[in-house]
Amino acid sequence: MKKHSLPATMATIILFILAIGYLYPLFLVVINSFKTFSEITSDVIAFPKRLVWENFQNAFKIMNYPRYFMNTLLATTVGVCGVVLVSSLAGYKLSRTKTRYSFIMFMILIAPMMIPFHSFMISLVKVAKELRLIGSPLGLGVLYWGLGASLALFMYHGAVKSVPQELDDCALIDGASPLRAFFQIIFPLLQPVTVSVVVINTMWMWNDFLLPLLVLSGSKKSLTLQLAAYNFFGLYKVEWNFAMAGVLLTILPAILFYLSLQRYIIKGMVAGAVKT
Amino acid sequence: MTQLRRKQRDRVFVFLLFTLPAFAAILVSVEIPFLMSVFSSFTKWNGLDKAQTFIGLENYKELFLDDLDMWKAFGFTLRLTLGSVLAVNLCALLLAVLLDSDIKGKNVLRAAFYVPNIISLIIIGYIWRFIFSAGFESFYQKTGWGVFMLSWLGDVKIIYFSVLMVSLWHSLGFYLVVYIAGLQTVPRDLIEASMIDGASRVRQFFSITLPLIMPSITVCVFHSLSNGLKAFDVIFSLTNGGPGNTTTTIALDIYRTAFVINRFGYGTAKSVVLFLMILILSIIQVRVFKQREVEV
Amino acid sequence: MKKMLFVLLALLIVASPLFAAGQQEKKDEPVTLNVLFYSPELAEQYNDMVAEYKKATGVTLDITVLQTDYRSVLTSRLNSGDVPDIFMSSAYADNSTYKDYVYDLSNEDFIKQIEPGALQGVISDGKVTGYPFLVQSHSFIYNKKVFRDNGITTLPKTLAEFEAVAKKLQANGVQPFATGFKEFWVLPQTAWQAIANVPTENYGGYEKFTGMLNSGTLKFKDIPQMSQLFDLLDLIKKYGGPKPNESDFNDQTSSLATGKVAMIHQGNWAEDSIRKTNPEVEIGFLAGPTGNNAATAGIMFDSNQTIRIAKDGKNRQAALDWLRWLTTSEYGRNWIPGKVKQLSPIIGAAAPDSYIAKETSALLASGAPGYPWFYQMFPTGTEQQLGAILQGYCAGLTDRAQTLEALDAAYAKIAKAAQ
Repeated sequence: MKKHSLPATMATIILFILAIGYLYPLFLVVINSFKTFSEITSDVIAFPKRLVWENFQNAFKIMNYPRYFMNTLLATTVGVCGVVLVSSLAGYKLSRTKTRYSFIMFMILIAPMMIPFHSFMISLVKVAKELRLIGSPLGLGVLYWGLGASLALFMYHGAVKSVPQELDDCALIDGASPLRAFFQIIFPLLQPVTVSVVVINTMWMWNDFLLPLLVLSGSKKSLTLQLAAYNFFGLYKVEWNFAMAGVLLTILPAILFYLSLQRYIIKGMVAGAVKT
Repeated sequence: MTQLRRKQRDRVFVFLLFTLPAFAAILVSVEIPFLMSVFSSFTKWNGLDKAQTFIGLENYKELFLDDLDMWKAFGFTLRLTLGSVLAVNLCALLLAVLLDSDIKGKNVLRAAFYVPNIISLIIIGYIWRFIFSAGFESFYQKTGWGVFMLSWLGDVKIIYFSVLMVSLWHSLGFYLVVYIAGLQTVPRDLIEASMIDGASRVRQFFSITLPLIMPSITVCVFHSLSNGLKAFDVIFSLTNGGPGNTTTTIALDIYRTAFVINRFGYGTAKSVVLFLMILILSIIQVRVFKQREVEV
Repeated sequence: MKKMLFVLLALLIVASPLFAAGQQEKKDEPVTLNVLFYSPELAEQYNDMVAEYKKATGVTLDITVLQTDYRSVLTSRLNSGDVPDIFMSSAYADNSTYKDYVYDLSNEDFIKQIEPGALQGVISDGKVTGYPFLVQSHSFIYNKKVFRDNGITTLPKTLAEFEAVAKKLQANGVQPFATGFKEFWVLPQTAWQAIANVPTENYGGYEKFTGMLNSGTLKFKDIPQMSQLFDLLDLIKKYGGPKPNESDFNDQTSSLATGKVAMIHQGNWAEDSIRKTNPEVEIGFLAGPTGNNAATAGIMFDSNQTIRIAKDGKNRQAALDWLRWLTTSEYGRNWIPGKVKQLSPIIGAAAPDSYIAKETSALLASGAPGYPWFYQMFPTGTEQQLGAILQGYCAGLTDRAQTLEALDAAYAKIAKAAQ
């Protein structure tokens, strides 16, 4: 029976206050998304005089929401699945293989995290064009594999250390192929990391802007939500009322996704496996 | 072929089977394009002309000898990175520990801190710009607190902290997720055993938890380090490198060189140098941290 | 969970042809022009025009509108061969940037319908490299009511007069200026106007002036009138409120619209935002000071935005047909003045329903000089770089001598690289 001691309750209260303050900028986004343009420019922190739902309706229409939602979903899903697949395999193998070549390969595979995107994005567009990956959300998803794999691999590489090596051998002794052994025994134990990888990659792919801009902007029907929302932010003038509504419409699915995944982070799975 | 040889061949085969997909993807999406760009760094090219003029190491010479602005930008980038790596990792780790313990409403809190990370940095920059100017003015009118009237984005002395704060606000959630996942991998029975032995929570943390979550720390420090050195989005939308060029990071300098001034070859040379600097720093960092990782 | 992943992935790959369709173009479908524009504030007007053109000819214009990332996207698309049929850019220095990609419009019939004055910005090496579609002006926009309420009856023309007006406003508790200094582009447009008369008076014209700067024979620190430029910036900063370096475009337009400030340095493109914030506002246009000579105080009036046709675009003829329609058809000729509400360079086009456009014409008619945007002749990239240096001056990072040194150094570097 866990006691909720005083320090724990105090900590909870402080954390909640901190969280409220932390979310205040978003609160501003929410209330401003219900105001008219002139209301926003005259007083940012005031509450709206009436709830201007039209902002959302207009943003929804201008952004061509349903179509672009599907595009974004496709690109993100393909991207995330690919990243999880290739990175878990490679991260696991590189972590278990403790040779110099393995380390070099590891460094080569995580080096991309250090390369600024702007320095190779033009060439990437050229390569993507050659491989016919331009102009479709599916192609974008495939391009995401290489972009997300480095960090995911890094994370799997480290996480594998918490899985005892005996398990690898156990599975193999039972006569399974290495791939089978990995996916049936090891991979499930890496669930917390997998969830993190899924969350992290879903978020950045869902919100990614620059690469879709370069690769999809030639084809109106292939755009993503982020691209559509960004159009409200001009260099001269920002249509704040639509921009705020657009931003909320874009991040809402991502937030819901994150909330639904929270419960998959289960503690102590490894401990359970070791005991058997 | 001998039994041993066959086994070795099989091992290599399995190794390649597991690692080649990632290798191929990374090659296509990043490394090949980057190498293509590296070639451009030896040319004088505006990014558009059909002809690229080969000029050898001229760009690199200019970069090291004649580009004070770039090194100023690099200096600022280092300062910002140092601040953000320390701040974000300490805060995220602390918060992760608190949110991993027995307190109510963990899930809600975790989500709350994570949400800012979901929003793209460009939009965050605009929102905070808005808050710093129009928002703070409204606050001032309602509260009269002088802190709101400081020139958060205009005063050279304060702007470093404004940028740091916004970037921390955005990225905290990300590292929080990673650290929480890392904390989950610490076997419960080890903690319980230590509690039976009478160890305090603090002692538990430093003797058991910390060494076991070193992999998470390695990832987070590595990621925040290279992200800090590449900082672009938040600067671009929050300050656009200003006032003057005081908050111009090296990534912004590279972007401007390549796309605003149209010196594409020169810009690529700068990004190659940036990459090498990040590479060196990261190799050192990873090597040091990996040695401290412990296996169960 | 992994089974689910595999199944999902397989399903998606199987279903992908439904989504990946965007690449094949059937030959017998009506033409779709691929267009890349900036100015997202004109999105509604673009859509209107696209609908009208489709009705008239059946041709669809697929316009992608960007702003801050426009240049990098355009560069990467031109580079990778994914060339848009039609795109936009500035005039002057950008003529040489895109020279390998633009179609020469010199022989097109509709070019003859454009005011020659507007064309001079797009002519390079004897070729007409673009289509100037807007004429814009920038100078000081003022709130008429604020001026009236504070007893300002004569409009200022010289630095001294501007200072007097500012002092009066300040004494009455009204912030005289919203600086806009946070935007890197506001500073160059404000600053260069202060010496707009100098190149023609002392250096034989704008082209010669730019040429001398490019070759290094003339440096900013050798131009005595640069002090006028700094004086103007100092003035605006002094009377620009408590946080002059944080004022951006949004601040300028909303402050002017609500009457919080009296004057901003901006262009006719700002009118839309101003009137959206406060539809009742009455705004006017002031000639900008060039030192203390009232006769040379003028406005910056030029056609700096061009539409360019890609030489290698797949649908070049259709693109040219569209431009012809824009210049000759009734809707097309009225698009800029009527819908976009800015001045059109087409000969004989109507005047737009815009305060600033009306005031611009009035000022020019009364004899105020309309100067070309000569600073756009400086090599590409100088606007941002020099703007940042001036921003540093305004933030107190450099004094006048250091700023001049920095301007010269930055200019020389860019000019050398552009050769």
